[in-house]
Amino acid sequence: MKKLFYSIALSVLVAAGSSCKKVDNYAAPNVTLKGTVTDAGTGKSLQTEQGSGTRIKLLEISWSDNPTPFYISSYQDGTYQNTKLFAGKNVISAEGAFVPLVQVDNTGKTIVDKSQTVDVKDVTTVNFSVEPFLRIEWVGDPVLNADGTITTSFKITRGTADPNFQQNVSDVAVFVNSNNYVGNNNYDNRYTPKLGGDDANNAVGKTISLTTLGGKLPGKRSYFIRVGAKMSYGLNYYNYTDVKEVKVP
Amino acid sequence: MKKYSYMILAFLLCCTAACKKLDTLPPNIITDQDVFANSAGITAYMARMYAELPIEDFRYSPARGLNFFWIIAPTSATTGEALSRDQSNSMQENLIFDDRPTTWSFCYKTIRDANYLSETLPKYASNYTTEQINAWLGEARFIRAVCYFALVKRYGGVPYVDKVLNYPEQSVDELKIPRSSEEKIYDLISSDFDYAYANLPESNQAGRANKYAAAGFKSRAMLYAGSVAKYNQVSLVDGSGNRLCGIPAAKAVTYFKAAYDAAALLEGRYSLYKKAWVAGDKTAQYQNYINLFFDASSPENIFVRQYHYPESVHGYDAYNVPRQLMGANGYSSEVNPTLNFVEMFDGIPKNADGTIKTTTNGKYDLYTNTMDLFANAEPRLRATVVLPGDVMKGVSIEIRRGIYTGSSVGGISPLLPAGSTAHYPTANIVEAANANQTPVKLPDGTTMNPAGLSGYFTGDGTCSVSGFAIRKYIVPDKPTSEVLENRSDQTWIELRYAEVMLNRAEAAFELSSLGQGDKNYLQDAFTQINQIRERAGADLLTGSGALTVDVVRKERKKELGFENKQYWDMRRWRVADKEQNSTIYRTLMPFYSIADGKYFLDARLDERNSRYTFDPRWYYEQIPDPEIQKSQNLIQNPGY
Repeated sequence: MKKLFYSIALSVLVAAGSSCKKVDNYAAPNVTLKGTVTDAGTGKSLQTEQGSGTRIKLLEISWSDNPTPFYISSYQDGTYQNTKLFAGKNVISAEGAFVPLVQVDNTGKTIVDKSQTVDVKDVTTVNFSVEPFLRIEWVGDPVLNADGTITTSFKITRGTADPNFQQNVSDVAVFVNSNNYVGNNNYDNRYTPKLGGDDANNAVGKTISLTTLGGKLPGKRSYFIRVGAKMSYGLNYYNYTDVKEVKVP
Repeated sequence: MKKYSYMILAFLLCCTAACKKLDTLPPNIITDQDVFANSAGITAYMARMYAELPIEDFRYSPARGLNFFWIIAPTSATTGEALSRDQSNSMQENLIFDDRPTTWSFCYKTIRDANYLSETLPKYASNYTTEQINAWLGEARFIRAVCYFALVKRYGGVPYVDKVLNYPEQSVDELKIPRSSEEKIYDLISSDFDYAYANLPESNQAGRANKYAAAGFKSRAMLYAGSVAKYNQVSLVDGSGNRLCGIPAAKAVTYFKAAYDAAALLEGRYSLYKKAWVAGDKTAQYQNYINLFFDASSPENIFVRQYHYPESVHGYDAYNVPRQLMGANGYSSEVNPTLNFVEMFDGIPKNADGTIKTTTNGKYDLYTNTMDLFANAEPRLRATVVLPGDVMKGVSIEIRRGIYTGSSVGGISPLLPAGSTAHYPTANIVEAANANQTPVKLPDGTTMNPAGLSGYFTGDGTCSVSGFAIRKYIVPDKPTSEVLENRSDQTWIELRYAEVMLNRAEAAFELSSLGQGDKNYLQDAFTQINQIRERAGADLLTGSGALTVDVVRKERKKELGFENKQYWDMRRWRVADKEQNSTIYRTLMPFYSIADGKYFLDARLDERNSRYTFDPRWYYEQIPDPEIQKSQNLIQNPGY
């Protein structure tokens, strides 16, 4: 009898103890959101710099009218992807070196709103078509000169007809780096030629050729080249070309 | 009968005990009565507010925030004034270091203290004269304005709190105060300083504000506001039309005028320190400029923060002395002025592009001593920077990169091509990896260490990595046994008259360039700048036509170098992202050539290849996320 009592008491204790375990049965985030930010003028993806370039802004309105924004940085080729999101209703826009998708006038009124309200679930693709501040095109491939330098030709044009976004161009640079992650946040300033001030602003609309600095480039390696330009607006984002590789024997 | 009288007595005795009140305040808690009913209590209250005033002094670095002892990543090593082994890039202020309160919360705590004093003191007005009350209320407003200025220069518009907030009397939603516009915050700072100026006395205890401190700070704050109005391009507008970041350009004139007028209030009240200054005597001018930072009776000091060992200390000497004067903690040489900083000064041979001239026709110039190059240097430069071979604390500060053992026939060609960040070639050069050196035998039989006693060492950074050391604020006679952390107690001069003159000159120049003609602003800027230059022993400007915005700004950089001001100046001018764009700063490396028995000096890019890039987002710093989580009405600054 006593033995039975003890064994029942023990099993009740064990049951009581284990029943306290809470199970977090909410599924881990597994929703994918991806897409591309493209140049409305050319239809190509808009090149940017990773980390301090284009980013996608999500406002999840499933729960709150005043949510804290969540950002996804885009890759340098203008695509983006996040595979660990929760499903939910989001207002999605993009920020970067292009005419802002959401514009507020100086009284606080929203005058332009091209953000998209999307039910994000499973694998959702959201693309944006934007007008870049500046459009930079290659004029031929970069050329390895006989003296060991590299000359790059390119042309900068305005990406938008809106005069509110045609400020002076403040910097133009042919960024040179030893790997394909190249841009204003990652370049070798021993070789990178730049234009500033009036020279930069006067470059708009013309074919410009710039040659690497510092004389003969060290050989037996590849150089990755990318042209960037920015104008004096907001956070001074750069617009870019894609990256080209030059092999120096 | 006797028994009854004892009983009555006992009964009466009970009554005495009954009169004791039980509802009394705990004696170990300080009440408003204790603090505000007597002037000693108010002095103590003030002391704490001044100690917490958010100023960037000996205990500030962007890496570790306000009022912290460990300054091994100094502010000047983020701006290009200096290089440091522990700070090798530009940065915005670190948001949260080591769980310390953020600048945001430091400032709002002190703002609350100031508001509390303003609201509570009038209840005890009968204990004091009207002058006393006014002076204290003026101080509270001064402190509040300094706090808001510290906030607005970092974050732009912030929530404006001008009274004590109470929870739970006020609901949480009521306390989620949204940000005001940047313009409104500057206007409130201006009116607080005006109130302080009107109510503060002519003079006050050292370390506390008088009315001229309020006017001087106002000139500083209004100059910032004017610069933001003129140069800023970032805009952030909230849903009600408040511009949280940025000020309309049309307001530039208003703010520059306010800066100019506030600075002019100090004229005749303060003057440049010239006690040991002698016209035409460079040595006297040099000594005068050193003394300026240590003379408690200096007529130039407007607002200071005092330190006193052992209860209130910092470690400026220990962290920054040249390596050969290192104290027992093992710290030294955290601040090493760059050649870029040195090249701004007069009296050194220069090339056409303004860089230092150390070669002739492609061959190094030779000098018997490294100091020969600086024989005619501007006294202010020598008093700010320890040049290689100059004397400090009675010893010659020996800075040498190495010994050149190659031939010198026909002169020595530059060791590296221009613009190189490579290490020096090892052929023909003997270097030292650290302070344990192997001496080199010279032809005359004597020996010489490859590197100087203060560097440069190739293996560790505990040396002068730029070829220079810092002299400003280093106590000239502090014995090495006291060169320790938390052992320095020299006074920090937060606001001196030279800055007010530079504020005035800059405001005047900007007003003139904005077409304002109600005074001869250009001439006034010229007068102010030339007074600063005269005291410094620099070349005088020939006329107001020689003034450009660069001349005005450069004078400020030179005069206020290493006083933690340039960090903010580069931002308000919005030039930081131009100046620091994958920038490598320059150094000057002295070599001894055995064949000549002489020195040559090589100007080069920092061989540690530290690249400085300023992210334009940092013009408005990130609001700490925990603050936004607490108060969701706060809108984050752009780009974060």
